[in-house]
Amino acid sequence: MTTFEDLKSDWKNQPEQNIPEDGFKIIIQKINELKRKQIITNVVLILTILILVGFFFYIQAYNSTTVTLLLLLMISVLLIRVIIEYISIKKLKNIDVTANSSVFNSNIKAYYKKRIKTHYIITPIIILLYSLGFILLLPSFKIHLSEGFYTYIIFSAIITLIVMVLFIRKQIKKELLIVKGL
Amino acid sequence: MKALESQFKSVYEVNYPKVLRLCLGYTNGDLIRSKDLTQEVFIKVWQNLKSFRNQSSISTWIYRITVNTCLIELRKKRTVKLTSSVINVEESNDNFSEEKEEKLKQLYKCIGCLKTESQSIILLELEGLPQKEIADIMGLSHEVIRVRIHRIKNELTKCVKK
Repeated sequence: MTTFEDLKSDWKNQPEQNIPEDGFKIIIQKINELKRKQIITNVVLILTILILVGFFFYIQAYNSTTVTLLLLLMISVLLIRVIIEYISIKKLKNIDVTANSSVFNSNIKAYYKKRIKTHYIITPIIILLYSLGFILLLPSFKIHLSEGFYTYIIFSAIITLIVMVLFIRKQIKKELLIVKGL
Repeated sequence: MKALESQFKSVYEVNYPKVLRLCLGYTNGDLIRSKDLTQEVFIKVWQNLKSFRNQSSISTWIYRITVNTCLIELRKKRTVKLTSSVINVEESNDNFSEEKEEKLKQLYKCIGCLKTESQSIILLELEGLPQKEIADIMGLSHEVIRVRIHRIKNELTKCVKK
């Protein structure tokens, strides 16, 4: 007859795993790696914005008010999305993991519910505005750019849009699953 | 910095087996996944060590981080295969009798069938923590914990007997 005390004793007597040698040093190294990755991400984001601004000057967009406004629209929505993501990651990091489980759970739930709202409302608006800006810019791209570059821009934009939509869809599905499980 | 590092080293070495055992309970005994989770837990321990204020014991504090980390990380990757746990238990200790091994596998399986909150409560109970401490980690009243432990104990014992 198995009692709970037997289970407890089985649990306590299970084979103990060795503590990894220098395990604590590996943890500290890992944290430094994470910090480096964060810096790289920030550099990539800044470079993307710089490329967009550079492109703005390259095609002398400032000569046309429409082109200027449309490019500004594209840069702004991209920036807004980046800022939202940045704030969101920061908020997740700031959720106190040392709090008791009930508090932690409700904080995590609130966080993911907000994320879902962002995904369902703000992200589609951003994608729509970005695509709109791009489509309206196509005539001036055709005038200012070589045919090869123009074709390249159209194809790369379509591919980027498809990849972006698929990626966001996957992310939403994953986060919905987390919310459901909490 | 050096003082904090040496504090972290001793915290790591004292608590590593406990944290790993708890993670094994959440992952159906999957050793590789549990080691990853344990590493994740200690990353958070290091990141928060400066803010630890002796309001509770360090082990209670670490258990809180472990429970929270395991819950959220396992939500991200929900599926845990039992087959991997079978291999891990077998590899870990040659002297560990076959009968005990079977019992442990069954125990992991039954824990895996519980709701996540019940899993946390019973794993802490199996670790031998006082109910008051479990209540503190879970953020529930002592009375609620007492009733739940009684219920989960019965559920778990019935499941293991099957």
